[in-house]
Amino acid sequence: MNLTATEPHESGISGHLHYWSYVIDESNPFMQIHLDTMLLTLLIASSLVIFSMWLGRRVTDGVPVGAQNFMETIVGFVNTTVNDNFPVKNPFIAPLALTIFVFILMCNTLDVLPAFLLGNVAHMFGVEHFRPVPTNDLNLPAAMAVSVFLMVLYYEFKLKPVHFVKELMFEPFTNLVPAVLKPVVLPINLILKLVEELAKPLSLSFRLFGNMFAGEVIFLLISFLLLGSGTFIGAASGVLVGLAWSFFHLFIGLLQAFIFMILTVVYLSIAHQPVEH
Amino acid sequence: MSIDLTFVLQIVVFLTMVGLLWKFLYGPLNEAMDARAKKIEDGLAAADAGVEAMAKAQADIANKIEEAKQTAHSIVVSAEKRAAELAEEATLRARKDADAIVVAGKEELAAEVSKARQQLRAEVVDVALLAAGRIVEAELDAKRHEKIINDAIQQGFGNA
Repeated sequence: MNLTATEPHESGISGHLHYWSYVIDESNPFMQIHLDTMLLTLLIASSLVIFSMWLGRRVTDGVPVGAQNFMETIVGFVNTTVNDNFPVKNPFIAPLALTIFVFILMCNTLDVLPAFLLGNVAHMFGVEHFRPVPTNDLNLPAAMAVSVFLMVLYYEFKLKPVHFVKELMFEPFTNLVPAVLKPVVLPINLILKLVEELAKPLSLSFRLFGNMFAGEVIFLLISFLLLGSGTFIGAASGVLVGLAWSFFHLFIGLLQAFIFMILTVVYLSIAHQPVEH
Repeated sequence: MSIDLTFVLQIVVFLTMVGLLWKFLYGPLNEAMDARAKKIEDGLAAADAGVEAMAKAQADIANKIEEAKQTAHSIVVSAEKRAAELAEEATLRARKDADAIVVAGKEELAAEVSKARQQLRAEVVDVALLAAGRIVEAELDAKRHEKIINDAIQQGFGNA
């Protein structure tokens, strides 16, 4: 077991794209843990839980102020989104959507910290590589997307099992071909439906990961090409472009959090839709 | 970019966080928001009920004023009618009393006249007797003097 980066030391942008990893079995790439991702997600999760417990004790049904007012705005927004999309009442959906939105937003917001800040802090403690944004690690978006996908499957099988299996087997071609060809198209239907279903968690996770990863790479590009150019004009334009990109990326982070949340609600809503006869 | 054990741990972190945030953040906030919404709803319902009650009370007041006006009008009308009746009754009673007084006066007058006649007749008889006594004393001529007495009586009643 090694406590190292997964790749040998590299310079340039690629050198900043390695994780601080805890390798359990070097022969199996799956058997490692990205400590930077885990550390930051645990920090964010703990902060959120501590904040929630602190706020939960101060909640009033009178006039809300400060943090309660701010959080009520988010909860109200999430409730509206869920109520607008859901045909039935499921008390689990709104807390799930709220957690996804707040957690991803907080993870994404870390990207506006200076590109090398957390990395340099980590170097001071002897850590060679440190990725500052958990959503830049595919493991986090994939974990959330797969969790959502499993929930969708759970509700599909719980609420309309026969309909779901029929859809997997007979959609989309069975009704379009003669009776003799129906058994032939059955596996094709199944493959297509499986691709369609698997595309949901894949697109959900890669959308978030891709956007945030691209944002980080652009920050590194700005840093290397402009700030690291050694000229005053380069440095000045680097600061300006970096600042502009920070604001834009902050917006991208908010947008990605919203998209992940709304798609989660939509997928679960589809699973809750009553069967039409 | 790789999927490893972090993925499994992230699922655990994510699902734990969903549970904890539901319990400590979403639950209390949602309850507070629901309670506030109910308070506002109750307040608005109470305000609506108050407005409705006020409108009803104003309508009741208007009805009562109208009823009072009508009652007062009927009281005035019946009072005027009663006053007219009383005046009529008083006039009739006064007229009746006056008639009774007049009748009683006439009866009293007739009685007095009769009494005076009786008294006068008695006095005339006395005078006649006195005159007759004088005449008898002077000369007693019944036949001649009877005529004189009768003439005197006739003369006396004629003056009465």
